[in-house]
Amino acid sequence: MAPKSMRLIYFDARGKAEISRLVLAAAGQTYEDVRLTKEQWPAEKPNTPFLQLPVLEIDGKRYGQSIAIATYLAREFGFCGKSNIEELQINQAIQLAVDLMNTGSKAFYESDPAKKFPKYFQFFEKLLKESGTGFVVGNSLTLADIVFYDLVFNYISRKVASIEGYPLLQALSKTVESNEKIKAYLAARKPTEF
Amino acid sequence: MAPKPIKLFYFDARGRAEVCRLLLAAAGQKYEDIRYTQEQWETEKDNTPFKQLPVIEIDGKRFGQTIAIITYLATEFGFRGKTNLEALAIDQAVQLTYDFLNCFVKVWVEKDETKKAEYMKHFKEVEVPKYLGFYEKLLKESGTGYFVGNSLSVADLSCYDFLYGLKSMGVLSTDEYPNIQNLQKKVESNEKIKAYLATRKQTPT
Repeated sequence: MAPKSMRLIYFDARGKAEISRLVLAAAGQTYEDVRLTKEQWPAEKPNTPFLQLPVLEIDGKRYGQSIAIATYLAREFGFCGKSNIEELQINQAIQLAVDLMNTGSKAFYESDPAKKFPKYFQFFEKLLKESGTGFVVGNSLTLADIVFYDLVFNYISRKVASIEGYPLLQALSKTVESNEKIKAYLAARKPTEF
Repeated sequence: MAPKPIKLFYFDARGRAEVCRLLLAAAGQKYEDIRYTQEQWETEKDNTPFKQLPVIEIDGKRFGQTIAIITYLATEFGFRGKTNLEALAIDQAVQLTYDFLNCFVKVWVEKDETKKAEYMKHFKEVEVPKYLGFYEKLLKESGTGYFVGNSLSVADLSCYDFLYGLKSMGVLSTDEYPNIQNLQKKVESNEKIKAYLATRKQTPT
């Protein structure tokens, strides 16, 4: 049973909250999308589990850790596979994406696009090829697709990387964008730099 | 229903595989504990999903990524809470531990001795009290002696294992953290874990 009230608390950005917003959008789930200003943050910081954002507040109780939050929402609303093995595959893909994001500025500033993220994008492409369904896992949208989509969106919009040469990843991006509820969400989403 | 054969692949160390081994021990689940030498790893690397270890093989299919593997085992064998909300509370603590671990990896991999000493100082003086403080707070809020609910979960095991490693390297002490000390005792006195720890192969890391 879905919780009574949910508040997702973050900065006024996509950042580490966006995958949760995408899951909630795909689920057609209403929630309070709280965006703190830089000025509001210091006062709110002690009210978070780990002095960080995003935080998900469910029926008054607060939880941290962006992947834990997104996973909870994905499991709650049916975007985390149909079996434990499917969830393993989804988590494997997500953690791979997290590893890529954690390579941080070193990869960000690599000037040769071909050198930037070939290892990871090759792995993403490989997983999509092995799946063969157009989705990372199974034959419907899961959190793994959303995570890949969001990562690609961020890298491309900031001109940090290109997915030329990764046709399955390109196709996945289009598939996520054309999901009816996500399409509507993206059309109305507030553009932010991050 | 438990999967048929499970194989766990790693180096001959606790490292990133030990939480898997603790979960399998706590579950009383048989598996093949495969430990590669460096030489074997060079040839086996291409037989892994992402050229990294640990890898778990379930009914012949291989999967990588530590957190994905431990979450799978935790879910399969009942160490991920009783509800999705409990799973969230558990996952948040697990992710916290791996954030903490990643801070230490930065120290561990640094080759420049001066930088390494500087990073270690920062780790001990800033990161250690920060994360131990979070653990203590979560345990206190739970009030059961476990991170979540009133039974052992992967949150308890991953925290226990990482702190064990750091303590054995002399990097930290948990003397000033009564709830963490209590958790360590609880984990070590779990019947199946106790038996596993008594016979587990001793390795430096």
